[in-house]
Amino acid sequence: MVLMPLKLYPLCPFPVGGKFLFLLATISASVSRFTVMKLEFKIVRQTEEASPYIQAYHLDAEPGSTILDCLNQIKWEQDGTLAFRKNCRNTICGSCSMRINGRSALACKEKVGDEVERLQAIAASTPNSTNGTVPSITVAPMGNMPVIKDLVVDMQSFWDNLEAVQPYVSTEARRVPEREFLQTPEERERLDQMGNCILCGACYSECNAREVNPDFVGPHALAKAHRMVADSRDGRTNQRLEQYNKDMSGVWGCTRCYYCDSVCPMEVAPMEQISKIKQAILEKDTAPYSRAINHRRTLVNLVKEGGWIDERKFGLRVVGNNFRDLQGLASLGPLGLRMLVRGKFPLLFEPSEGKDEVRSLIESVKAIESKHL
Amino acid sequence: MTLRYAYYPGCVAQGACRELYQSTAALTQALGIELIELKKASCCGSGTFKEDSQLLEDTVNARNIALAEELQLPLLTHCSTCQGVIGHVDERLKACQKDDPAYMEQVNGLLQKEGCSPYKGSTEVKHLLWALVGDYGLEALAKKVTRQLSGLKCAAFYGCYLLRAQDQLPYDDPYNPQSMENVFRTVGATPVMYRGRTQCCGWPLSSYATEQSFRMAGGHIQEAIAAGADCMVTPCPLCHLNLDSRQPEVESVIGQKLGLPVLHLPQLVALALGISPEALGLQKHIVSTRPVLEKLERLAAV
Repeated sequence: MVLMPLKLYPLCPFPVGGKFLFLLATISASVSRFTVMKLEFKIVRQTEEASPYIQAYHLDAEPGSTILDCLNQIKWEQDGTLAFRKNCRNTICGSCSMRINGRSALACKEKVGDEVERLQAIAASTPNSTNGTVPSITVAPMGNMPVIKDLVVDMQSFWDNLEAVQPYVSTEARRVPEREFLQTPEERERLDQMGNCILCGACYSECNAREVNPDFVGPHALAKAHRMVADSRDGRTNQRLEQYNKDMSGVWGCTRCYYCDSVCPMEVAPMEQISKIKQAILEKDTAPYSRAINHRRTLVNLVKEGGWIDERKFGLRVVGNNFRDLQGLASLGPLGLRMLVRGKFPLLFEPSEGKDEVRSLIESVKAIESKHL
Repeated sequence: MTLRYAYYPGCVAQGACRELYQSTAALTQALGIELIELKKASCCGSGTFKEDSQLLEDTVNARNIALAEELQLPLLTHCSTCQGVIGHVDERLKACQKDDPAYMEQVNGLLQKEGCSPYKGSTEVKHLLWALVGDYGLEALAKKVTRQLSGLKCAAFYGCYLLRAQDQLPYDDPYNPQSMENVFRTVGATPVMYRGRTQCCGWPLSSYATEQSFRMAGGHIQEAIAAGADCMVTPCPLCHLNLDSRQPEVESVIGQKLGLPVLHLPQLVALALGISPEALGLQKHIVSTRPVLEKLERLAAV
């Protein structure tokens, strides 16, 4: 069959090859929008117990290709020894999380074109940046977990920490109904955001608290924990809040670095969920004394008193627990002394001119909140 | 045209980091930027109001923003945490005006009951860093430099809330920001890159998980030193508290001497404008800033 020039038959309605030609025209038009780009992939490779090294690969890809497409291309056409996890290719399974250009993300979600655009924007804001002609995309394994090989990390601690929050709806406190546990659409809706988690590990990989505190269960686990607390069918809310309030393994281990919210590919916003567990704990007047809780209550009280925080009182009340925690108080001694010597210690405190307004405002908010309890 | 801002000083610059208050005043005066201080403003909550309730964080900060709106000026912060908290509330409430008018009504109802102006969503919340980069402009800043800080190696420490609390950042990529480094270059200093520059300083944990908090700070200071830094420079006084004021305690937790001076952003810029170290409160730091000043003198003498 001899193809006629396409432009003569762009909308040819006749059956004589017309449909075929129309299809061809459509494809060729859309393909022409894609310029194939030359790319460099710098991949941080490692075998267990050995030092990591960077290996560079060069390839051609379309802007719409995902990072995963490119990794597959490298593995299938250039280097079969490159190891990475993959499965669904569609932001569902959460297997292909890795560090792409400096932050954890799903390789199947991030597109080459967007990454190049991002790199160009950064380069444009940097004077005299040596921006090569071939854009270079850096891929590294996730953090906070040991590398098994190349981009594959050992996620055992991630799963163990999830298990530690008991991520199952507990119905032990109630009799099993004849048919099923019913929820209203509104009750179910409250679980949607946390339910979107695909356990990819991106948040855990970037969690700054995990880096210094191996006891902290991590953002993924606490997002799931809030999913349980918020579930109307769960009968263990009080025990859960007690557990998540305990020591530095639970919500108070979070340092609020915002990385989890920022990198989550599913907008689960783990730090928001951690905040909501904290709210539920703080709402209870019966929560046992801890410096973390005292820190929060004192802060609100000091703002009510002065509009701004009187930092002299903050130290005494939070760390010294109003002279009840002598060890805590003593720990402030050297700091206070050093600050005095340097003329840094705030000897005076000037309250805000709006402090009365602010106090009244906080009290009104508190009144509304207590009605909701 | 003179740049004018409704200046939100925040708690720390009026308390344990008075030198920040001092140096922001000195810098803006030297640049001809006019600050109208919000004397009736209050603490943003530094992220802990939200742990109590979202409504608390939103209402208190809607009031802060409304104070700037009354003056028809952008609200200027000089603290990463204040910026992230108030800036994000501004983003949230601007979205609520469209998507959740009932919530907006609740917030404004509370404000009006106390005789405060309602939130209008008519202004912006800007960090001093962004005001320098975006409004004043680095080219204009370069013209004001009378004393190039050539040879001084500076390690930026951005602070989490400046990079990741807001959905939209005007000038920076949240994972590879450049605006601090661009300011360093503008005043003749050399930026030093290290991983910790975008990480958490550990301050939110410092009152109750002291060891973890100090290990965090210690790791970043060690990295900055290893990268050759003469000093760290931060746009956040809370980071400054953990990195400078607590550095002796950080040293004992990690078992290593550090002694790395940590400057506030306006202190560094103001030094390049020829303002005296005393006027910037550089003698008030816990870690002596003398090595920085001595290096600058040595370099100037060459």
